[in-house]
Amino acid sequence: MKSEIKIEIGKDRIVTLPELYQEYDKAHRIQAGIPFEDKIKALVDLQKIAFSWGKRRDVIVWRI
Amino acid sequence: MKKTLEAINGLKKEGIVKDYAIGGAVAALKWVEPFFTRDLDIFVIPLPPTGEERVISFLPIYNSLKDKGYDQWAGQWLMIEGVPVEFLPAEGLSKEAVDQAVETELEGVGTKVVTPEYLIALFLKAFREKDKMKIRLLLDQTKIERKKLRDILTRHGLEEKFKALYGDWK
Repeated sequence: MKSEIKIEIGKDRIVTLPELYQEYDKAHRIQAGIPFEDKIKALVDLQKIAFSWGKRRDVIVWRI
Repeated sequence: MKKTLEAINGLKKEGIVKDYAIGGAVAALKWVEPFFTRDLDIFVIPLPPTGEERVISFLPIYNSLKDKGYDQWAGQWLMIEGVPVEFLPAEGLSKEAVDQAVETELEGVGTKVVTPEYLIALFLKAFREKDKMKIRLLLDQTKIERKKLRDILTRHGLEEKFKALYGDWK
């Protein structure tokens, strides 16, 4: 029987794939709890990325 | 963004709209992790229509903002302090969403934001690909009052659609 694949994600931190996805879910939920102001700043960063890196010239980068 | 909200609050103070709330993607941002969007959707409860034709006019909104120097349009969006804003009439479900929206502050400016339960119903009604993504984020990342959601969905004929797509969701 093959042993379960594990991933090293930091010093002394080895997790299974389901555990890794749980970590991701947890991180997303933490992001959901940050202040509204910080989310708007993150949104503007995403708009900047879409405009410059993604070359989406139709995207308006909000002035905040 | 602060000045954008101040300008929109001005419409309420001046009695040009009865009430308003932030809806759409930016409202969802209040409750879930950051994601990309282009514009700020504002649901407005306009003053009652006048005249025999019962037309709800947005002209008083646009004229008032124009008087303050906001007359630049980018497609369907009115640019207010560098933010593309779309005004949408709050009717039926969306009017209820505005009435029940929560008071909050953004950069020290008071505003109202549509609650997750109403957002789910509104996104379910529109149900474009981007709406599906937002429903999933809301269900996964924020606290939903099940009873409240069920009540909204039932009253607006959306319960079966929701059940078929999301079942008992958690």
